[in-house]
Amino acid sequence: MAGGYKYFEAVEKHAGLLGILTAVMVSIGGLAEITPLFMAANTVKAAEGLKPYDPLRLAGKDIYVREGCYLCHSQMIRALRAETERYGPYSVAGESVYDRPFQWGSKRTGPDLARVGGKYSDEWQRVHLIDPRSVVPDSNMPSYAWLSNAMVDAADIQARMRVLRTLGDPYSDEDIAGAKSALEGKTEMDAMIAYLQGLGINRPTESAAASGAAP
Amino acid sequence: MTAFWSGWIMFLVVFNLGITLFLFLWGQRVIIPLLPDGTTGHVWAHGVLRESVRKLPMWWVVLSAAMFVVGFVYLALYPGFGSFKGTLGWTSHGELAEDLAANQARLDPLLKRVATMPLEQVAADPEAMQLGHRLFVDNCAACHGNEGHGNALVGAPDLTDTDWTYGGSADAILASINNGRQGVMPPLGGGMDAAGVENLANYVLSLSGADHWPSKAEAGKASFALCAACHGMDGTGNQALGAPNLTDHTWLYGGDQASIEKTIREGRSGFMPAWQTRLSETDVRLIAGWVYAQSHAKAP
Repeated sequence: MAGGYKYFEAVEKHAGLLGILTAVMVSIGGLAEITPLFMAANTVKAAEGLKPYDPLRLAGKDIYVREGCYLCHSQMIRALRAETERYGPYSVAGESVYDRPFQWGSKRTGPDLARVGGKYSDEWQRVHLIDPRSVVPDSNMPSYAWLSNAMVDAADIQARMRVLRTLGDPYSDEDIAGAKSALEGKTEMDAMIAYLQGLGINRPTESAAASGAAP
Repeated sequence: MTAFWSGWIMFLVVFNLGITLFLFLWGQRVIIPLLPDGTTGHVWAHGVLRESVRKLPMWWVVLSAAMFVVGFVYLALYPGFGSFKGTLGWTSHGELAEDLAANQARLDPLLKRVATMPLEQVAADPEAMQLGHRLFVDNCAACHGNEGHGNALVGAPDLTDTDWTYGGSADAILASINNGRQGVMPPLGGGMDAAGVENLANYVLSLSGADHWPSKAEAGKASFALCAACHGMDGTGNQALGAPNLTDHTWLYGGDQASIEKTIREGRSGFMPAWQTRLSETDVRLIAGWVYAQSHAKAP
């Protein structure tokens, strides 16, 4: 036990060897924690009743991402009483299978939006996006008034849906064929409201939540 | 988790802890060859700096040893070692269920009371009012405001006055919250020119005695027949349809001439979501009680 100084000396005198051995030790943590979940992610099934985004909601989701809403709003209700009492049942993995990229977020300046669908009227959402302080006086959310004047860009919606289909979203040929006409005459505000009003409306049943399926 | 990934994690945990523990024990015992002057012979800056040998500080050794102990204890108690659940059987969902049960037990006397007593009594219960207002702020305030004063921008009525669109009885309030409300006034602008809309708006203004052009109001009176189906011939409204009373000074969407003209021209569609899928029955009663208290405190 007392011998072996030469090994310590070798690591001490060769920075490259030190770097390699450090990387090996650090990556063990990653291999143990990340790879099993990474592989498990491929086996997550869509929550019961969950449908892929229809064209208008899909366009709305892309606007949501474009405007960086995820920087202030999470879509992930954690299994904590303070959150389930305010936002509803905690989120499960099967609810996010059609979100690419997922919108869980990591920061809440505004409230969580995972189950905001249907909580307010369409008109409220519209008024709130145009002037947040007209309905929530102490809100610090920016105004997104221009969404009312911008038309949804339908040029690539079918391409987007085809890509999502290759990734596993069950769009039918009819879904994709009708996508362009579904966006006709729609503003980005319409798309955004449709997206928000669809968030979390497919709530997991009590039994699914109780069994803790894929938290 | 499959057996393979469980084994994968167990192997890596044992491997990692094994290497670090071995290095920790071995590193302290390795004998470092010394020169006669007591240094290792490692020199920097042409011999100005020479490396001496000291024992590792005891605080470092003790803290490192403690980290190993914490690691082993953690893996024994909590989930982490592959599919081993830990001897405590802890899960985040279990903890949530416990927290909910503890809170339920704390609130149980109040909730049981609220579930059975009439709304009029809920409205007089200070504890219930505290909880009711809390729930109102969380769920209803976005449209009706923190204190229930409403917002004409979204057609959310003031809940603190004694004027009710769908009725202010305990049952009507409960029904509004549980099932939501959908108020639709059709747009009349299509069949009416600008002057016709202006005349009709003046007639509506005259119903509540607000400032108006008497001549225009007179001219608009005939077209009010269109409105009477819902608002009644005298304009006092119909709570069964959610048609507001036009003869008072309370306005859902604003009572100035421009707002009224817009309402006539474009119609209005008010929408209050149904809350029975989001809130428990008792939560609804608590909120309804608070709403009841706001207006009935002022009732004559």
